[in-house]
Amino acid sequence: MKSGARHWLLPLTAVCIVLGGMLGIQVRSQKERGEMQVGRQTSALVGMLTRTEAQLEQQREETGRLRALLAQYEEEAASERGLVRVMREELQASRIALGAVAVRGPGIELELADSTRRSIGGIGAEDLYVIHDADLLQVANELWAAGAEAVALNGQRLVTGSSIACSARLIEVNGVAIASPFLFQAIGDKDKLVSALNIRGGVLDGLRLLEFPVKLTTNDEITIPPLSVTPKHIYAQPVERESKQ
Amino acid sequence: MIAIPFAALVMGFLAVYVLVPPVPPRWADYVAIAIIAGLDAFVGAARNWLERRFDEAIFISGFFVNMALAALLAFFGDKLGVDLYLAVVVALGIRIFNNLGRTRALLVTARLEARRAGMPASSD
Repeated sequence: MKSGARHWLLPLTAVCIVLGGMLGIQVRSQKERGEMQVGRQTSALVGMLTRTEAQLEQQREETGRLRALLAQYEEEAASERGLVRVMREELQASRIALGAVAVRGPGIELELADSTRRSIGGIGAEDLYVIHDADLLQVANELWAAGAEAVALNGQRLVTGSSIACSARLIEVNGVAIASPFLFQAIGDKDKLVSALNIRGGVLDGLRLLEFPVKLTTNDEITIPPLSVTPKHIYAQPVERESKQ
Repeated sequence: MIAIPFAALVMGFLAVYVLVPPVPPRWADYVAIAIIAGLDAFVGAARNWLERRFDEAIFISGFFVNMALAALLAFFGDKLGVDLYLAVVVALGIRIFNNLGRTRALLVTARLEARRAGMPASSD
């Protein structure tokens, strides 16, 4: 077969080069693929680590704050009157958060009403020109997000546990039925609140587009009433924490 | 003599492995299927060689054209949303297996015949 060797040697060599090359490509890219997956896992782990470290930092700060508070209590414990003052301050902060007291401060007032535009017809089409519970929820959410410290809607203080729900043609806030026009009052950084509400594509933008009358004013002296009914806690009981350290 | 193609295989592998950047992942399937087609041509050639009807023109054309066709078929399958890729793998896999079996049978037969003739088995 030696004489006939030439006629297969060349094609076989050519084919072998190509086949080897393709194997090279494949092995190389498979290896790359595996490395990519490892990289992805690594970045996920790095993300977890960063988050955990941030949480740890937060908790350290919290611990520091609590220690300082404890020190303050101990310091004030010497004089009974001092302790009372500190506790009253804390009670006051809790009361504001709970809506148990009326509060006063700079903020904004936002008046909303159903649209002046009437639908041309069609069942359900007029719903487009009526303020819905979802619109009010969105406004309230926007206010909280912008750092509002106290919010009221038509005189109903909004606190944790407050609800804005639709009931027939009316809207119930904290179980009290209200109707258009709606008046939001919020205490907080005026500029922040205004710009948060007026954000492009935000809730007010959408309402103005449909010709809802929207009146947004700032005020240096807004008074927000307390919650009319203090919420009762029937089911939730505080957990007694044993402070042995 | 057989060392030259083998060296070519290794050199081709190393050259591409070192020099060519990795292909994008969605091409990897097509390269894989082209390799399968190349392997099929290779095994087919081995069988033809033993059956004494090897032809380098058929080998070369079969190698390159089948490679391209297999990859193309898989590509069209992807475009159509049909897993033609699998069809190619199955078809080629069966062929490679058949040809390998046939090659083995031919080799064993040749060896047995050589022994019966009282001659040491020779490999061409």
